[in-house]
Amino acid sequence: MNRRQFLECSSIFFCGLTASQLGVSLTAEQRVHLTTADNYLNRDVSFFDSQQRSDIVAIADAIIPRTETPGAVDARVPRYVELMVSNWLTDPERKLFMAGLDQLQQRSRQRGDSFSELGITEQLALLEQLESEAGDHSWYDFGNIRREYLSDAPFICQIKELTVWGFFSSEVGATQVLRYKHMPMYFDGDVPLDSQESAWYSGAIE
Amino acid sequence: MIEAKQPDFDAIVIGSGMSGGWAAKELCERGLKVLVLERGKDIQHGMDYLGEHAGDWKLPYQGKKPRAEYEEEYAIQQACYAMGEGTRHVFNNDKENPYHYDAKHPFEWLRADAVGGRSLLWGRQVYRWSDVDFQANSRDGYGIPWPIGYEDVASWYTHVEKHIGVSGEALGLPELPDSEFLPPMELFALEKTIKGRLAKKASDVKYTIGRVAVLTQEHKGRAACHYCGPCHKGCSTGSYFSSQSSTLPAARATGNLTLLPNSVVERLEFDPVTGHISEVHVINSRNMERKHFSARLFFLCASTVGSTQIMLNSRSETFPDGLANSSGTLGTHLMDHVYGVGRAGIYLDNMNSYYHGNRPTGGYIPRFRNLPWNKEHNDYLRGFNYQTQCMRTDWRLTMNSKGFGADLKNSLRKPGYWVWATAGFGECLPRASNRMYLHHSKVDRFGIPQVGFEFNWHQNEHALVKAMNSEADRLHKAAGAIFTLSLGDEAAPPGRAIHEMGTARMGDDPTNSVLNSRNQAHDVANLFVTDGSCMTSASCVNPSLTYMALTARAVDYAVTLLTEGQL
Repeated sequence: MNRRQFLECSSIFFCGLTASQLGVSLTAEQRVHLTTADNYLNRDVSFFDSQQRSDIVAIADAIIPRTETPGAVDARVPRYVELMVSNWLTDPERKLFMAGLDQLQQRSRQRGDSFSELGITEQLALLEQLESEAGDHSWYDFGNIRREYLSDAPFICQIKELTVWGFFSSEVGATQVLRYKHMPMYFDGDVPLDSQESAWYSGAIE
Repeated sequence: MIEAKQPDFDAIVIGSGMSGGWAAKELCERGLKVLVLERGKDIQHGMDYLGEHAGDWKLPYQGKKPRAEYEEEYAIQQACYAMGEGTRHVFNNDKENPYHYDAKHPFEWLRADAVGGRSLLWGRQVYRWSDVDFQANSRDGYGIPWPIGYEDVASWYTHVEKHIGVSGEALGLPELPDSEFLPPMELFALEKTIKGRLAKKASDVKYTIGRVAVLTQEHKGRAACHYCGPCHKGCSTGSYFSSQSSTLPAARATGNLTLLPNSVVERLEFDPVTGHISEVHVINSRNMERKHFSARLFFLCASTVGSTQIMLNSRSETFPDGLANSSGTLGTHLMDHVYGVGRAGIYLDNMNSYYHGNRPTGGYIPRFRNLPWNKEHNDYLRGFNYQTQCMRTDWRLTMNSKGFGADLKNSLRKPGYWVWATAGFGECLPRASNRMYLHHSKVDRFGIPQVGFEFNWHQNEHALVKAMNSEADRLHKAAGAIFTLSLGDEAAPPGRAIHEMGTARMGDDPTNSVLNSRNQAHDVANLFVTDGSCMTSASCVNPSLTYMALTARAVDYAVTLLTEGQL
């Protein structure tokens, strides 16, 4: 084959699969520009029953309430929790989560109502009880930012991690509570910091 | 009279990454018709950087990695810091394209699978080697002497730097020669504080901004950096160097380039009559069709492991143990940097200072131990540098705080402490026992034998690890850290530094090396190997710039031979 013949046939031979230029290993969903993708929170999920859903809303709100800035419920963190429990946790982690939620619901009923219907003082008392029981689990170790998700983390740690992560990595959390610029255009390594100012959002993946 | 068959191309380059892009550019600009074969998928610059500028709220799981899927399909690649949902399409799928992973000798082969190769994903750090590096083997007797010195490469470093654009600060150090620099990026206020303290209390070290192939001003039609942060997600403005942003467009502009993606090279065909490579055998990864292409000149730039795999698999009667392997050293003396150790210090200085923009480089502490003129007596040979990161902690570090409610929210949303981290990069000694090989019974989906590795860190690397940590402790104390955390007390598995080198080393003696001083195979005149496999020692500095310089230098020589009718 000479060069000219080669060029004539190469477009057929090597470029016959234009619809899937990015490879057999990627699904259609993985071949889109993520900037144009729908937010993760807009995915469908139906995993919790309505009581569980109400209680998760109440827990997320207790962890990160609305203040002068949006809170966890404004950022749709409960939906993030449901998506993650349904799709991301492993079976044992999910069991741990559901058992923990179940136990919290039982303790709430012993206080006379479902968790979501209790007052914030009672809700916090229950959550603080769980945190005190979790005690010195390694989940609380200082500086374990680079760790993998801890599969044996107790329910209270699971829900806190999902709530905090889901909140600050959400569009609302990153852009309205933290600060975010996708193209900052310059670098300045010494900018005065006001004591009330929020951190930049700098990404869940470094 | 027999008419000589015209080859399909003047030159064939295997690989389109850091080295292959340079080979393509230089060969095309010399007027040669060039075919570049890339085994990975065809991604287009600016069009296919799927994760660029996407907030984590767009990503599946908002940035938490799909653990089960990665374990199944990216079991090796998931160890790479740059691997995520925004970049996975550039990475190799380990299930589709496996190698023989031996848990007893865990070597992590981190690899791209796309046009542009790892130049799309690299850390962009560029440092010239010095004669401290090129003379290291002859000085202490480990490995064989390099057939070249700094003066042989210096002008080629300049040639490369002027094209790719390197920002940094000139220091005038003989152990770390200056590049052709664009203006350096600024230091953080804390780095200035630390630099001042080190100057007083640890004056044997220098602190400088990382030298980085990211543009601080417009350069050759590529825009200055816009400081978005995660370069590895791709850069449509071409502000960091990749073959996609720089060398491949230059090659394409000549009209001499043909680039074929999805083209897996099975082997090179050696012609015993001419003593040259005559053809390359290619398998299309999409439809498994086989083709072969001929050329006068062949450049292997498929990465250290990739190139040597092709040579080992190119057996013939003349070369029963692999192409150009009359020395028997092909596959041996594999190296990677000693990596994964160092310290992160927490600092309470400059708490009222913050930053704007995400600086795409850290700081750098050049090698300061075992420099030949210092006459030190340490319990290790060679040396190490530190690459540093300065960052303000945030909710990602403290999300596991106790407490609930407005107070928790308020503390999580604000910047935390300053952290200054020093990550060591140590020089690995070349050893015959650290090697790659072809597995005798495992093949991949193309029927090509899988690569296996035997690699162990030895006493000198362990001693370097200790030194990198104890020196880091000393530096953080001098710099005023209130507390330090270890980044690791043992070296990361080899391969993790993604600086794998050696296996087809250069040398003057054809009985103990594969390539001569011009990256030309001793045994096969029209075969040049210019990626990391050519390296005779490892230095402690990042190697990519040297691959690029050696590639441009080898092309210059090869084209001269071709022009003079010697090939």
